[in-house]
Amino acid sequence: MKNCGQFREMFEAYALGALDPAERAALEAHLGTGCADCAKSVEEARWLVSQLAYMSPEATPSDMLKGRLMQTVRAEAHAVKRPAPSRSVIPFWMWAGVAALFLFSAYSAWNAQRLQQEIYSANQRAAAILQERRDLEAQLQLAKRAAMIVTDPASVKIALASQDPQSPAIEAKWHSQLGIVLTGQKIPAPSGNRVLQLWLIPKTPGGRPIPSLSLRPDADGKFVLLVANPPELMAATKALAITEEPEGGSAQPTTTPRWVGGVS
Amino acid sequence: MRVHGLIQFQTRAVFRSRRRRSNLKPLFLAAFTPTANPEVSLDTTLVSRLLQKDVNAFEQLYDRHSRAIYGLVVRILQHAGIAEEVVQDVFLQLWRNAAQYDSPRGPFVPWLFTLARNRALDTLRLKSERQRRREDQTEELPPVVSAPEYEKQLDEKRRAEKVRALMGSLSPQQKKAIELAYFEGLSHTEIAAALKEPLGTVKSWIRNGLLRLKEGLQATT
Repeated sequence: MKNCGQFREMFEAYALGALDPAERAALEAHLGTGCADCAKSVEEARWLVSQLAYMSPEATPSDMLKGRLMQTVRAEAHAVKRPAPSRSVIPFWMWAGVAALFLFSAYSAWNAQRLQQEIYSANQRAAAILQERRDLEAQLQLAKRAAMIVTDPASVKIALASQDPQSPAIEAKWHSQLGIVLTGQKIPAPSGNRVLQLWLIPKTPGGRPIPSLSLRPDADGKFVLLVANPPELMAATKALAITEEPEGGSAQPTTTPRWVGGVS
Repeated sequence: MRVHGLIQFQTRAVFRSRRRRSNLKPLFLAAFTPTANPEVSLDTTLVSRLLQKDVNAFEQLYDRHSRAIYGLVVRILQHAGIAEEVVQDVFLQLWRNAAQYDSPRGPFVPWLFTLARNRALDTLRLKSERQRRREDQTEELPPVVSAPEYEKQLDEKRRAEKVRALMGSLSPQQKKAIELAYFEGLSHTEIAAALKEPLGTVKSWIRNGLLRLKEGLQATT
């Protein structure tokens, strides 16, 4: 601080603002070097100069001044504090409630859709089970009916002999009220998609064969065919015949009978 | 003021205590720290509340200091209406820029005096009415005013009385030179020209007068 001495007498005048520009510039340049002692002296000189304010007697400003100031200050304080609540007019707990409600609604909608799908699937399964049951019951009824036809002594046994000596015969039993049952074993399957069709040959002279049901033996050549409602009465039927026909059967025989049996 | 009366009573009580128990002087002096002055503590607290935009704190600061500030500004400007504008500007500066007041480094009132004087002298120096508008003025606030160790315990009223007494004890030339510098913002050269005295003489008057004021305030403790 070798230059401090030349500034020592300037501190009060500097704080007072009375230094001429050149002196002030020199002192400020020195203060700019970071001289702590001179900086402290200047601060104390500023305090000393500030005490000169007490030379002037106190005076009372108008009430209007305070009114204007307070009005401005209140408005600015309000403007500063206002954005905070306005930013969150809806409190956090309400946002949380809305979010919870939204999630609950979404879950409810998803759950309702899931339940509807489950109900639909259950209905489908129930319908399938019912249908399966009906089919089984129908098959059971048919099986019972076929069994009754086969076992009833009143049924008439008809042997349908094959035109091919290598093929086994097909047996038929006809109950006048319950229908006809045809059974066969080791029956060779027709070629391709062709089927075996039953025909009733009427006693009426010149009468055309009456078409009945068609069938395909299983892989072992077995089959049981029930004709619950024969298209002709037993008394009016001369014989039963089986031909090979296209899939779905034919209205008139298209091939010669492979099995034929007379109705006694 | 009621606050002053209370503080005077407390100060006198301390002085009586000092007279009775002179052997406890170090402990007594410890009470004269900046935080021991209730006025300083109150001002510091109020200014800190301004940072939270506390309108009540601002109103208390205005009620406590507006008369002294207005008296100073009227003395500089010699015009009540313009002085009120400057006082309004000073307090709005305080309200808007309270964060710039570094309370740990210096007392509040001398800093506020400095701010008010600077604003008043700025206004005095401006020529035209349009230039006098606020938007043309700087927003810069004065630096911190550090009180010396010897002067931290006087209340406002006692300090004012002391300063006036000390200034009244100066020679008329000294007092006039200091007043021209302080209230009119004149430089040494301008004062010398106004008083038609040599520049060196004016510098001596001002420096010696201020040193005498300093010594007088120092002797108060």
